[in-house]
Amino acid sequence: MGTFIQLVIDGLSTGSIYAALALAIVLVNQATGLINFAQGGMAVLSAYIAWALNGFGVPIVLAILGAIVVSFFLGALIERYLIRRFERGDPDTAVVVTIGLLTFITGLCAWIWTYNNRLFPSLFPLQTIQLGGAVISVRSLGTIVVIVVIMLLLQALFLGTKLGLALRAVAINPASAAFSGINVGRSLMVGWGLAAVLGAVAGVLVAPQLTLTPGMMDGALVYALAACILGGLSSPIGVVVAAWLIGVLENLAAVYIPFIGHDLKIAVPFILIFVVLIVRPQGLFGRKAVVRV
Amino acid sequence: MPSTAEFWSRPWVRWAGIGLIVVLMIVGPLILPEFANQTIARIGVFAVAVLGLNVVMGYTGQVSLGQIFFVGVGAYATAYGVNAGWNIVLVFVLACVVPAVLGLLVALAAARLGGLAIAMVTIALPIVGVPLAKRLSDFTGGSQGTSARFSDAPEWTGLYDDQWQLYLVFLIGGITFLLTRNLVRGKYGRAFAIVKGNEAVAASMGVSPYRYKVLAFTIASLIGGVSGFLYMVVIQYTSPETLHFGHSIELLASMVIGGAGSIIGSLLGGAWYVLLPQITNLIDPNITAMLQGAILLVVLFILPGGLVSLPRLWRRRGRGSVAGPGGGPVGGAMQADAAASVPGSSTVGDALGAPQTQSPPPPPTTQS
Repeated sequence: MGTFIQLVIDGLSTGSIYAALALAIVLVNQATGLINFAQGGMAVLSAYIAWALNGFGVPIVLAILGAIVVSFFLGALIERYLIRRFERGDPDTAVVVTIGLLTFITGLCAWIWTYNNRLFPSLFPLQTIQLGGAVISVRSLGTIVVIVVIMLLLQALFLGTKLGLALRAVAINPASAAFSGINVGRSLMVGWGLAAVLGAVAGVLVAPQLTLTPGMMDGALVYALAACILGGLSSPIGVVVAAWLIGVLENLAAVYIPFIGHDLKIAVPFILIFVVLIVRPQGLFGRKAVVRV
Repeated sequence: MPSTAEFWSRPWVRWAGIGLIVVLMIVGPLILPEFANQTIARIGVFAVAVLGLNVVMGYTGQVSLGQIFFVGVGAYATAYGVNAGWNIVLVFVLACVVPAVLGLLVALAAARLGGLAIAMVTIALPIVGVPLAKRLSDFTGGSQGTSARFSDAPEWTGLYDDQWQLYLVFLIGGITFLLTRNLVRGKYGRAFAIVKGNEAVAASMGVSPYRYKVLAFTIASLIGGVSGFLYMVVIQYTSPETLHFGHSIELLASMVIGGAGSIIGSLLGGAWYVLLPQITNLIDPNITAMLQGAILLVVLFILPGGLVSLPRLWRRRGRGSVAGPGGGPVGGAMQADAAASVPGSSTVGDALGAPQTQSPPPPPTTQS
């Protein structure tokens, strides 16, 4: 039983990382209708910025806050000067642009900071708590708490503020939003900036565990994409639940199903997707896209 | 100037052009150095892979991130058959059929899903494929990979290995390109185009979107298998690394860079896939990845339609230089922007929820 609880908590913790990245992807997808493959790469860049600031003697919490601010502006600038040119064109081209961006950012990180693993200081103490026979690390709990808090903040932003209302309006119908006086371009920039912030949070949360390398988030990106499809791209809550589900299930499957083991556990979310999508093509929580003909 | 288009459309010019290419393909391998032959052969291999991706993505509009998986399956099937001592023709058929059957099975489920869900199901193929290839070591040789030497030049030809391999690539790749060209220009190509353009219109005209998506995906997998066979002809070795997800992404990027929905674009895509890493390595090995990303972004910025749209851009620039401000990539960018924003640019129409203007569907054709 102890092992089981431990696996579930650890699964929720890794699931939280996927959730943060997946939320970023959903945010961008809602705003600009494209899948940003560079989201993981941008997150790694943010983590490197925090690491570099910390290296200059800035306390880790301030360094992370600084990286978050920089990420916001970086995300907004990328939208304005790179992505906007492709937003109305062929969606396949836009996807490849984000792939190019991913390659570029990964290469940039590797060029500045090399491919060597960097130790990233943890935000949370490295203690463990005994709980009913399970050994639970404070870091796992802390990660989960951070993600839940961020979710609540996002929800508050989207439902309770004027900015959130504008962002939602732009996502639903840019043209109508523009007619009612919303600056569509600036809203898109804010959307991308917020997504970059979410990515930055995911990056700094996962960096102490995996150590910092340019390709650190590649695996997480795949899981995050899986969570997006599983939860339905139109539902932020659904995406977070799906990310947790993936984190927990793959942990359990790796231990309790001998054939899967640790090398094939990456197949678990995809088998799940396969089964779910056959039954519900719009995802677990997504709304069916209705196209008017 | 107006005579250039006419000149190229004359039958004798076309036949002369085709003849010239065939002669070049026959003479080229004999006179080029070994390194050039090998590079051209590898371009051929990946041009076929990009061609397959183009069938499902460029022509039918279904995002597939799993093409490299079928290339890998084709390569593994080839290696297994050769090492088991089977007849090479049988091995070739196997290398085509096994990926095609796998592709059919995946497509039967994936094609039920719309848009990005297909991308996600296909992304799983290379990601699950790598650990699976390591696990099934009886067939695949595990992490070590497996090699198969069957493409050495036979004695009677008197050719070097690289020349013989290049001829094989030209022959098999050339036939694949010709067949695919005929496919996408004929009845099926028109059906693919209308499925890509508007599924509701397709269905109302008796073209089942589901059936044609499955067909396109299966054909793409089959062509991927051909590419896998050629891969073994040229490289003679395959490992789980062949299936790596990154390669699938690079294939996708190559397809868009070359030009989606274009036969020539597939060739350019294959060339891009092979040559870009070599070029960036020449410039500075330390910043290869960064340069690749930067070049990709710059090319798409200037040519959103891919390299294949370069002549069109050139012509338009030549004509528009009198009126437009021109001036480097900006002028080109503006023109391409105008072209890109034609579909669905009517803001009022969007606001009223009007259907987006699709590219005019091809004239209704008899569908059996």
